Amino acid sequence: MRKNGQKVSKNRMKKDSKATRIVTVICLCWAAFVALVPLVWLLLSSFKKDPMARPGFMLPESIYLEGYISTFRDLHVMRYFGNSLLISFVSVVISIVMISMSAYVVARLDFKGKKLVNVMLYSTMFIPATALTYPVYNLVNKLHLYDTRGALILIYSCSGLAVSFFVIKNYYMNIPKEMEDAARIDGCGYVKTWQKVIFPMARPGIMTAGVLAFLNNWNEYYWASLVLIDREKLTVPALLSTFTTSFRTNYNGLFSAMVVIILPPVILYCVFSKFFVEALSGGAVKG
Amino acid sequence: MNRHNRLGWRRKGFIFAFLAPTLIAFVIFYLYPIVTVFVTSFCKWDYTNINAPEFFGIKNMWDNYKYIFHTYPYFWEALKNSSLWALLGVAIQIPIATLIALAFSRKMKGVKLIRNIYIIPNMISTAAMGMIFLQLYSPLYGVVNPIIKLFNKDFKDSILLLEGPAFWAMTAAYIFFTGTTTLMILGNIMAVPEEVREAARLDGASGLKQDWYITIPMIKETLRMVCILAATGGFLLYNEVYFLTKGAAGTYSISYVIRELAITSPRTQFGRANTVAVVQILAGMLIIVIINMLFNLTWKRPTKGGKRS
Repeated sequence: MRKNGQKVSKNRMKKDSKATRIVTVICLCWAAFVALVPLVWLLLSSFKKDPMARPGFMLPESIYLEGYISTFRDLHVMRYFGNSLLISFVSVVISIVMISMSAYVVARLDFKGKKLVNVMLYSTMFIPATALTYPVYNLVNKLHLYDTRGALILIYSCSGLAVSFFVIKNYYMNIPKEMEDAARIDGCGYVKTWQKVIFPMARPGIMTAGVLAFLNNWNEYYWASLVLIDREKLTVPALLSTFTTSFRTNYNGLFSAMVVIILPPVILYCVFSKFFVEALSGGAVKG
Repeated sequence: MNRHNRLGWRRKGFIFAFLAPTLIAFVIFYLYPIVTVFVTSFCKWDYTNINAPEFFGIKNMWDNYKYIFHTYPYFWEALKNSSLWALLGVAIQIPIATLIALAFSRKMKGVKLIRNIYIIPNMISTAAMGMIFLQLYSPLYGVVNPIIKLFNKDFKDSILLLEGPAFWAMTAAYIFFTGTTTLMILGNIMAVPEEVREAARLDGASGLKQDWYITIPMIKETLRMVCILAATGGFLLYNEVYFLTKGAAGTYSISYVIRELAITSPRTQFGRANTVAVVQILAGMLIIVIINMLFNLTWKRPTKGGKRS
């Protein structure tokens, strides 16, 4: 009986593995297809002198680079990358430092109202930021921050608290308690214990939270288009919405500018894909 | 005890100092706006009285709600679309993300490369992806119209302006890019202990069967989380609406309505925008409760594992 069963299962294994392989290959093909089609098409179109004359996936007659040249000459892309980088980076630093401090207190110390703090931060996960559009817009105006980069830094530092908080808190929970006791015996105060022992040990978790927050800020469009007007101060996503009017019928220019806008994050990702993949999967997937 | 007392105030000071920045951020960005949203949803507050919201009085306190539900032309369309996008997030994104994550978890040539390629669209902002799809759908030089022309030679419209197809075209512009979700699921799959897989293999479950009976139940907490993220993400859709259709051809979303009422329209109506925001907050919570209930129901019965094979 048992032997029989084993035989059957062995046969099945072979069969399954073939079906499994086919499904796997289909999934992989789909993944590559979905990710590549829009990007390849965009790149292709950016080389066409007149995209209207050769629509779809028709190859360009000859490689036409005028769009790229004018993008770099007239658009000052670097300025927008600078804005995006500055705003994203500053807000990530502020929010991550702030949250890694609070998460430590909540993860390790007992105090009155700890449950309340947990619930409060948890609740931010369920509050759609778009529902707060007008009050936040109003607040930015009242603080005289409208149309400044500071407004975006304020918004980005304060939004997305929950995700960073739980990622970092989980990391703190896994650090053995003895580490703190040892530091305490060595004469470290609370602040020093955190600064010298705990913070460095939780670095992988803090990195994950930081990368997630940075990507969110870098790609954020809703608030950026709401509080910034001055062209000089726009971030990259906010700049995109001006393209449809500023390029009107210059489609070659439009496509080239979009490639230029998209390329830096893609290149950065390709170079550091190992780091990104590890950070986004919580460290479980090695790049 | 003595030591505790001596350290008491330092300890309290430390706790307070470390919590304060986050609490301040919470109050500025969440608490104050939420209270404002709820309170002013019962107020007359528009471009005529920008600085002084005015309570309707107990008798007429639901006036804004009545206006939104009965008079405002786009509310029901927006609620229907946003709910459908929330549903599609769970029904389409999660199965796709899980299947692809399972494919990525197998050892095969080229898996790593495709995995890295698959994440690329998620590194690009949704605003940029929206712009790319706007071009893809262009009747002048896009990709979609030549394909439609194969079947219908006289087709010259933009599918983004046709009621019905516009909704699905917009959905297709974002729904297949599940890179980060896939990675989160993959991370959890890789964390399933090898012994469990081994045991399942000895039991005769391998490949897809093993995934279905062993792996999926083991990653259910991650699945619950990504379901919630996908559903709320779909419910809050804004960028795609703005870049692709600006609400034309029946594609309004709740977020788009809020922004239009509060900021973009020439006759801004803050009170009414906040009324829609209240609906958005409550509906968002309802979605999360429903998903949690579904998960609790699905996994209440003890799963039979790979034994049935």
